[in-house]
Order: sequence, then structure tokens, then C-alpha cells
Amino acid sequence: MEMAGTTRTPEVKIDSSNCSIKGECYPEDISEFSGPVMEALRENLSSSQSFTVTIELYYFNSSSAKFLFDFFEYLDQAGNEKQIRIIWKYRTEDDAMEEAGSEFEEDMENVSFSLEAIN
Amino acid sequence: MENETLKLHELMISRGTFFCYSGPLSEEVLTSLSGAVKEQLSDSEDLPVVKKVFGIFVEQAQNIIRYSVDRLDQSGVGSVAISKTEKGFMIEAVNSIDPKNVDRLEEILKPLTEMNKDELKSAYKDRLRSGPPDGSRGAGLGFIEMARRSSKFDYDFLAHNANTYFVYRGWVE
Repeated sequence: MEMAGTTRTPEVKIDSSNCSIKGECYPEDISEFSGPVMEALRENLSSSQSFTVTIELYYFNSSSAKFLFDFFEYLDQAGNEKQIRIIWKYRTEDDAMEEAGSEFEEDMENVSFSLEAIN
Repeated sequence: MENETLKLHELMISRGTFFCYSGPLSEEVLTSLSGAVKEQLSDSEDLPVVKKVFGIFVEQAQNIIRYSVDRLDQSGVGSVAISKTEKGFMIEAVNSIDPKNVDRLEEILKPLTEMNKDELKSAYKDRLRSGPPDGSRGAGLGFIEMARRSSKFDYDFLAHNANTYFVYRGWVE
């Protein structure tokens, strides 16, 4: 599954072992965006034992925070049976995205979650 | 000095308002405005400041779109502005509301103006976990997000011309 990024939605790529989400995230309609992403994630994750998720967001609004929370919660549940790795990338000077990543990390119990600064 | 255009110009310049939109706001309009706001902010300021100002602006705009009672098709009518003041950036919004909602809003907003950074973070995470409250058309996080990104956050309810206006402002130093 591949979704091109727009000014308000990130680029999303999901295959049988990887998911990457990159860009801005404040969609006009969050469910229109999150529906297909969650569906593709469920499909691909069901047939996979090892899965890596890479998130590189520059901004997300509060409606998208709820989507991300549900997205990570789903991955953490799946982490009971599968090996799941989440990499949260943020620009070095972007303290808001660093903080957001570490806040999501606090709730993760069954996945490996790492923060990675990029330039 | 009776010229309206000149009065508007002088008012905006005198209060440091470099961006202002008044009228029907839809998600489509917000898409266009976002580009303009980002462009204006990107010139001089460092990234954390730009992101706070932009974040507060988006939450305010979406609040107008979703909850202003003055409506035109899918749009909510309101105003949103960004100014550079002595106390840093001021991001302000106003829209009309149903007077019946004043008490409910007061109950939500009063605690947010009194919380410190850690308390706001807890309130944000609690709301994420519990899900949106009744009547919310988003995640129920907008005001907490505005308060978190602001160094100071205030609001007011004003009765004017048979309407009740809800004014809310955030500052970023």
C-alpha cells in the first residue's frame, strides 16, 4: 500500500515487513486518512512475524494525535506475539516532535521503540 | 482619517498583526491559509517557536470550523489572527457560540489556564486514553494542545449584538 503525501497528509508506505509514515499530518478528515492506513496495517501485520515501523513527522494536530495513539496501541498489542520495532525520527532542533515521541514511548510495553535524531 | 481601509491598516500595523482571516472557515480554506502562515513564520524564527505558533493556529482554526454557531454550508464563521507583540507571538481567535455552552466551556478551560506544563501533559495523555468527550467532533484535545503550546493562554465570553462571542488567545515567547 502506498499513499502519496500532500501538504496536510504524510506519505505512507506499508508492505509485509515495513511501514513508513513521513511528512505533515493534519488531515482535513482524520478518519478518511486513518481508515485505509489501519486497514493496510492489519492486513500486512497478520501475515508477518517481524515488522518495522518508521515514523518521521514534522507536525501533527490533536486529531492526528488520537490516530497515532490508537496506531501505537494496536502495534503494542500485536507486539505480544510478533517482533515489532518502531523508530521515531525527529529533526534535531525539533523539541516538540522529540517530546511527542518520548510520550508515545512511555506507553509501549511489548515493542522496541527508539527515538532517532536526524538533521 | 475616516477611510475604513486606512483604519484597518493602521489597526493591524499598530498591534503587530501580520496575519488575519475573518469570515467563513472550512478545511479547504485552512489548507490555503496554512501555507501562507508557514511562509510568513519561516523567515525569521527558530523551529520550536514556529511550530508552537503554527500548532496553536491550526487548533484555533479547526475549533472555528467545527464549533462556531455562525455557519455557512460546511464553514464556521470566525476570525483568527497572529501578531508579533512585546510579549512574543499572540495567536487569537473569536467565534460565536451558543450561550448555553458557556458554563461547559468554562469548566474545561479554567483548569487549563491554571495547570503547569506537567499537569497539562497528564491532562493530554488522560484525554488520549479516555477518548473524546460527548459532543466532540475531534479528539477532544484541541484546547489542551493550545494551552500546552502557549506560554500563556486565556479566554473570555462576550455578549455583543445579541450574540455570545468566545475569544481565546495563546502567547508564544
